[in-house]
Amino acid sequence: MVKVVREGSGNSLTIRLSGPIEESVNFEEIVGAVPGELRVITKDVPRINSVGVKAWIKFFQGVSVKGTKLVFAECSTAIVEQINLISNFTSGGRVESIYVPFACGQCKAELIGLFACDALKASGLEIPDLQCSKCPGKAVFDDIPEEYLGFLQR
Amino acid sequence: MGNNLVLFSQRDEDLAFCGAVAASAGLSLRKVNRLSEVVDGVRDPERSVIFVDLGSAETLSSLEQVLQAEVGLFSELVNGNYFHFISDADFEECPWLAESPLMGSFILRNYRDPNEAGTRYGRLVGSSLKDRAFGLAGVLGPSARVQKVRLGRSTQKQEAVEAVRGYVVAAGFNNRMATVVANAVDESLMNAIFDAPVDASGKQEKAMVPRSEDFPLDGKNQVEMEIGFDGKVIGVSAIDQFGSIDKNRLLRHMSKVYMNEAYKVKSTSAGAGLGLSSSFQSGGSFFFVCDSGVRSEAMLFFSIEENYRKFREQFRFLATQFYF
Repeated sequence: MVKVVREGSGNSLTIRLSGPIEESVNFEEIVGAVPGELRVITKDVPRINSVGVKAWIKFFQGVSVKGTKLVFAECSTAIVEQINLISNFTSGGRVESIYVPFACGQCKAELIGLFACDALKASGLEIPDLQCSKCPGKAVFDDIPEEYLGFLQR
Repeated sequence: MGNNLVLFSQRDEDLAFCGAVAASAGLSLRKVNRLSEVVDGVRDPERSVIFVDLGSAETLSSLEQVLQAEVGLFSELVNGNYFHFISDADFEECPWLAESPLMGSFILRNYRDPNEAGTRYGRLVGSSLKDRAFGLAGVLGPSARVQKVRLGRSTQKQEAVEAVRGYVVAAGFNNRMATVVANAVDESLMNAIFDAPVDASGKQEKAMVPRSEDFPLDGKNQVEMEIGFDGKVIGVSAIDQFGSIDKNRLLRHMSKVYMNEAYKVKSTSAGAGLGLSSSFQSGGSFFFVCDSGVRSEAMLFFSIEENYRKFREQFRFLATQFYF
């Protein structure tokens, strides 16, 4: 079940979602009143099923229609996959930053790195290798670039 | 039934793949060079299994025309259960295949090792040649130990999904791979619980019921899950007792591309398909077996790979067997 932590004041609200988003989610209930700007952080959302996707789109489309500016930040790999898969997943909002998956060539550890979307675009979508945090090995981007970064090319 | 594997393809890798399929399924391989020779396989009283290189929409159209002229496209002799189409393009890039009465099974030609992929797919073909193709054990490798779990209530789905996720991680899959498997199982169980139940007239009984609703899964509503791992491939299946899968609807869902503006998700409907199509695009292979009015089984297969990219690019297929 997804949980939410609300932060912010005035005209801006940040929500940090954590846990899988599935049929038990009720965004209206857990998010509450939404001001003029809503920042959505999904670093700790490991997966979202089709019912969760529908609830997500219904909620954020409703918020967007009312004039709220949407910003999606620290998007988890599960959320990035949905952004790439479904045309209206962000309901016209801006994707500020995403987690990019890496795999260590030596110890096979799974790692993630946070990248700002503007910086990725400026670099021509070049993703540098990372130093593995668990061994002296090098971690490389572990997905299909044209698919994982596809939304940045649209 | 089915002593021959008829292959219509000029590609060497298809020949290697189908050679392994035939050996694995106990069939004799017969390579043909003209579509008219495929008709001989259709007429074969032993019902040959037919593999066709799906070069383009024109290839399929030509095959349909030949069959229409020789035996009638909708005759009893023409049964999609026996047709396997091999393609370089993914399923969603061939929407015309989903519409064809010949569509039985689709194979993406990313074999890597045609012999290994063919041996694996041959087990599925062998299973399809039995009276009914139900059961993971017939498709997974011989070392697999298949466990069966029965869900007692609809709300046990998430628990079952998390248990599968744990099983997959314990088998050595990394976290992202395990998430893909968990999502696929989630969608399959949801379909078995909410989309499969139909009344005597075939009308869906629970399609519009909120997916969070709690009710018992007993009697005809019984839902089972099988899971097994053969050291290379993990298989999970969701089983219902209705046998109500609409083949055309299923194939349309699986071929949808949700990035197209025309396919925006309608948040007001509870329609299935989004989850299954995204699972298929994320690396899974599917085998749907449906005995009309009796039982359906949605089997999912994922091979373990050293990293997620290889997992996404693994050998894939979408196979079906429908009994009416």
